Amino acid sequence: MIEHLGPQLFNGLVLGAFYAIVALGLSLIMNLTGTINMAHGSFMTLAGYLAYTMVLRKIPFGWALILAPLIAVLVGIIVERTLVRPLYKREPFYSLLMTFGLSLMAEEAFRLIWGPNGVPFSPPPALAGAASLGFMQFPTFRIFIVVVLLIAIAALALFLTRTRFGLRLRAAVQDTEMIAALGTNTQVLYAVNFSLGIFLAGIAGVLAGGMLGLSPTSGNNLLMPAFVTVIIGGMGSLFGSIIGGLLVGIAISMTTLFIPAASEVSMYVLMAIVLLVRPRGLFGEEGIFG
Amino acid sequence: MTARKELLLSAAVVVLFAFGPWISPLMHLDVSIVSGVLVIAIAVMSVNLLLGYTGLPAFGNAAYFGLGSYGAALSVKYFQVHFAEAIVIGTVAGLLGGLILAPFLLRRRGIYFGLLSIAFGQVFYFIAYRYTDVTGGEDGMQVPRPLFVLANAHATVSDFGFYYVALAFFVIAVIAFRTIVRSPFGRTLIAIRQNEPRVRYLGLNTDRFIFVALLIASTMAGLSGALSGLLINFAFPLQLDWHQSGYFVLSMILGGAGTVWGSLVGAFIYVIGNDIISTITSWWQIFLGALFVACVLFFPRGILGTLQALGRAPQAFGDDDVDANAAFDPNAAGEAGRGV
Repeated sequence: MIEHLGPQLFNGLVLGAFYAIVALGLSLIMNLTGTINMAHGSFMTLAGYLAYTMVLRKIPFGWALILAPLIAVLVGIIVERTLVRPLYKREPFYSLLMTFGLSLMAEEAFRLIWGPNGVPFSPPPALAGAASLGFMQFPTFRIFIVVVLLIAIAALALFLTRTRFGLRLRAAVQDTEMIAALGTNTQVLYAVNFSLGIFLAGIAGVLAGGMLGLSPTSGNNLLMPAFVTVIIGGMGSLFGSIIGGLLVGIAISMTTLFIPAASEVSMYVLMAIVLLVRPRGLFGEEGIFG
Repeated sequence: MTARKELLLSAAVVVLFAFGPWISPLMHLDVSIVSGVLVIAIAVMSVNLLLGYTGLPAFGNAAYFGLGSYGAALSVKYFQVHFAEAIVIGTVAGLLGGLILAPFLLRRRGIYFGLLSIAFGQVFYFIAYRYTDVTGGEDGMQVPRPLFVLANAHATVSDFGFYYVALAFFVIAVIAFRTIVRSPFGRTLIAIRQNEPRVRYLGLNTDRFIFVALLIASTMAGLSGALSGLLINFAFPLQLDWHQSGYFVLSMILGGAGTVWGSLVGAFIYVIGNDIISTITSWWQIFLGALFVACVLFFPRGILGTLQALGRAPQAFGDDDVDANAAFDPNAAGEAGRGV
């Protein structure tokens, strides 16, 4: 049992990185517009299936990893402009309900296009083996996943803190009206912000397809842990989403090792404990989202 | 609308439903489908109390609904309880679920409340899904409908008989619901939706009001779940899933948020519509999803809410609180996006 502890812990971190990146996308969209994007999982699945199709058509995996999320972003922009935007001015649960409907439609569409069962989507041969980390062997693909996700998170952090657009985005989260009054086109901000969230979801979707399998519901299966991640990390905090994701990943992998039957429930227990101690979540900010 | 007119209209609806077993064959519907409408309407009312009246995005009511269903099914399977006892046990199971979750939920408002409801509601789904030995896991558990026992008389409950059980519970639920939302307590809930800080300044502990509202809602959802489980003789994890919660919310919006009878109208459209669509096509999920999208974008007031706004509605069928629908009016909404 104990000898499995190391690999399992690492597995937990990989899983946690997934949750973190999905939660980051959710948080970005939620923080700026108050939209809980229930279709987030569908965008992940979409990118996963697109990458699967591309690889079948002999497009290298590396290109698919970039192109598939970009196509998902394109779909996302269309959805944002036509369906989500009219709802920004309304009670937030309307956009929740609308995106829920979208995810139902998407799930059925995936079923019609790619079949009701999962499709085998294996990582490219170059990443298929196992690598030695010195103290243990670990699948190369999972190490690759961690590296890609870390790069994505770092790029996002740089974008938000070091570029003018990123600064505007963060300012808009604090006071949208003020940033609009100062001459920023908030509609563009909303669209770019939404696209960023979808792009992160897309990358996670492609990588998750290779690791956890690809089926019409595979993206939605990651959605619930991502919600829990957002709550644990604290709504309004991107840093919280990262820490929350890792915590959830470790909690799930550890309970899978020791009490397999409780593996799904463990994250909810963690969430309940965190909320009892810190009602706002670990890094949630005072006053945001009640 | 006078109280007298309201009473007459309500009575007319109930009388119409009393002839349900004879009307439904004319519409090519099984009587148990119409029972389903009445049963689901109770669950939709529970969402309406929280979302329509109090303004809390209740996206986790399926948890209480499913607890009711599993409560009834498990007690029949393992303790051989009778029909009436199973209903009581299921209802209490829903209430207990509410008691457990309410302390967590009532700390937050707005979308945070919605997120917490979804996440915490999902706990029960995974418990039912995982503890296969007891609950039958993913496949659910089939339980024969228990006997109705009164004194020494034993009787089976036919689908015909069940219809009137459902109708009786529905009538009780509607009367209770209307009494609650017209009471000072219900008025306070509406006030909380409109402006919670102001209610607090008036010296009322809004957390306590929301706590009670959550308990009432979980009890109603539990009752609905227990009846639903006994109606289809089946308890399965998807009854606890957040998708189910979403269907309840959709039904509430379709019927008209913040209206007493909107829950019945919404449940009617949802249950019957689902039944018809799923017999016509296997793509029903696309239609259901499109219904969500269309309803939110073009029809946010729902049927009774729209009628009321047009001024033609029998007010009794809506709520005499005109502002109830203003909060759901896309043009009237003020502060956008943010939860509170």
